[in-house]
Amino acid sequence: MPFGQLLIEGLAMGACYGLFGLAVVIIYKTSEVVNFAAGDMAMFSTFVSFHVLTVYGAPFWVSFLAALAFAALLGVFIEFFFLRPAKNPSLLGLIVITIGTQLLLAGVASWKWGAEQQAFSIPFSYQVTYEIMPGFVISQWAIAVFIIAALIMAFLYFFFKHTKLGTAMRATQQNKHAAKIMGIKTNRVFAFAWAFSSVIGVTAAVLLSARTILDPQFMMEPFLRAFAAAVLGGLMSIPGVLIGGGIMGLIENFFGYAWPTWKPITAFVVIVLVLCIRPAGLFGKHYVKKV
Amino acid sequence: MKMKRILTALAVPLLALFLLADTGFAQRERGFDDKEIRIGQWGPQTGPAAPWGAVARGSKLVFDMVNEKGGIHGRQIRYFIRDDQYNPSQTMAGVRELVDRRGVLAFVGGVGTAPGMAVQSYLRQNEIIWVGVCSGAEAFQDNPWQWNMWPSYFDDGSLLAKFAVENKGYKKIALFYQNDDWGMDAMKGINRRLKEHNMELVAAVPVEPIERDLSSQIARLQSSGAEAIIGIVAPTQAAIALRTAVSVGFQPQWLHSYNLCDFALMNHITDGLWAREGVITSAFTDDPNADTPLMNSYREAVKKLAPEERWGIFYMAGIVVAEPLVHALEKAGPDLSTAALRDALDSIADFKGIGPRITWSKESHRPPRELQIWQCGPNGETIVVQDWIENELSME
Repeated sequence: MPFGQLLIEGLAMGACYGLFGLAVVIIYKTSEVVNFAAGDMAMFSTFVSFHVLTVYGAPFWVSFLAALAFAALLGVFIEFFFLRPAKNPSLLGLIVITIGTQLLLAGVASWKWGAEQQAFSIPFSYQVTYEIMPGFVISQWAIAVFIIAALIMAFLYFFFKHTKLGTAMRATQQNKHAAKIMGIKTNRVFAFAWAFSSVIGVTAAVLLSARTILDPQFMMEPFLRAFAAAVLGGLMSIPGVLIGGGIMGLIENFFGYAWPTWKPITAFVVIVLVLCIRPAGLFGKHYVKKV
Repeated sequence: MKMKRILTALAVPLLALFLLADTGFAQRERGFDDKEIRIGQWGPQTGPAAPWGAVARGSKLVFDMVNEKGGIHGRQIRYFIRDDQYNPSQTMAGVRELVDRRGVLAFVGGVGTAPGMAVQSYLRQNEIIWVGVCSGAEAFQDNPWQWNMWPSYFDDGSLLAKFAVENKGYKKIALFYQNDDWGMDAMKGINRRLKEHNMELVAAVPVEPIERDLSSQIARLQSSGAEAIIGIVAPTQAAIALRTAVSVGFQPQWLHSYNLCDFALMNHITDGLWAREGVITSAFTDDPNADTPLMNSYREAVKKLAPEERWGIFYMAGIVVAEPLVHALEKAGPDLSTAALRDALDSIADFKGIGPRITWSKESHRPPRELQIWQCGPNGETIVVQDWIENELSME
């Protein structure tokens, strides 16, 4: 068994899942809504980067910044125009709105950029590899994934613990009405959460597309994996999601190596098992609301 | 007396309905008149499978060229494309409309196994001629109203394995396949061929069409020690597999199915790795850049009649399926009828357009069993490494 290769590749893909899982968790943390459009929001913003890169011939970093800016706007736009107008929304109603948004984005992307696959290259090439020790080959791409994931996680940890806005976001999630009474503009908090989530989502999607391929469906499968990682780690815990992603990547790779036919269902078996045994996830705390 | 009046009142609309239905039927039976012959095709022009929509537009080029030269025995070809978005229920709706309202004489091509299966029994019941469904599935082989062009996946697997063993001398061959009928049919062909050489696959690793992380599959292929890997997968999985393999320093010889012989597309989505790694594929057309009178005439016609189209392999596939139909319409002569066209198709022998050589008979409408083998050159060009070769092995 090529242990080193499975370990590195598993962790790198897992870090991408974890990173993307964070995008799901940030919205969940503020509003308890599971955003099913997260995958296609990230896909759409990645296409914007691709568009700026290929049509306008801009350097990668410019296109990436453009995508980040677009992603933030897209997040705010969806929150403002799709979710906020919902009258007396139930949680389920809001989730259904995110599913509708996902279909809309997928349709528009296919119409604008076509269904043909595209290659999307970033400066960290998967073709440049280093053998750190016998059997352990790591590509530039994987190194970039580890560094970016670590940086974003550190930032988020600091943000939610030590900034006013982060505290406001947590407060909004725990009790929207109390937060409002305390002077928090909860609507702004929601809009910010959507923007923030969208920005992290596109970062993960750009990393994933550089390794796989870019087409309007390319985030469907990673979204499911990321969602599984988030459930595994605990939908409330930032480090938990990243660790959940890592575990997910490793389980998939080692299981997939041993039993290739069963690989596609591993993620779902993990979700079911976790929900049965530890519904709040490995690192999540289960809040019990008092009536 | 009252009863009689009621009956008369009922009889008039019933009679009218009957007469109308009869005209509809007569129209459907013919599918042509003195001025035009009506032909239809479905294919995804929009939606996720839209790249395959080029097939239907490729056939249009052939019909446009025919019309430009004055048609067939004085009749112009009127060609209808229906966009089904690769959704079988939409295929059915489009096909019904073309059969019932437009009254087509024949269908040509039609992308995909699932859409084709959805309309197969309807077309058969209505006795509509159908030439060259774009699927190698066995389910299409025993329909007396279907004439097949698309090479079977069994033959594809067998010929790829033959090339790997006999021309390249590989001893350790692995298979990377899509986990469905397509992959399984090809695997049968590969195993059949390897048995001839007393060999076995060193590994057979499945993949689902939705999967995007292929690291574990590649790790397994790598640890099998394979020198060559036969791939029976979609373009997305082939591209990701190649990228993943390169990222861990694994560089076997890849041999892929004919569905991936669009080197321009594959090179584009693999950052040029397709050319750098010299990927080999089977192919069901002549070299797209061949300097032959027929190929040149098509390339010139595209520039003139459809300048927005890319000269890609799916577009050429549309030409390949339309050629024998046009040939049969010419053979059927000025006294056209469904029966005459059917006889003409049944008597096609050794017909060669830009696809494989076709022979059909009353007894067999099976597709040709020959393919070419191509290699992607360093600049993305097509190198024909094996001219048309027929699979001599049968499934049993």
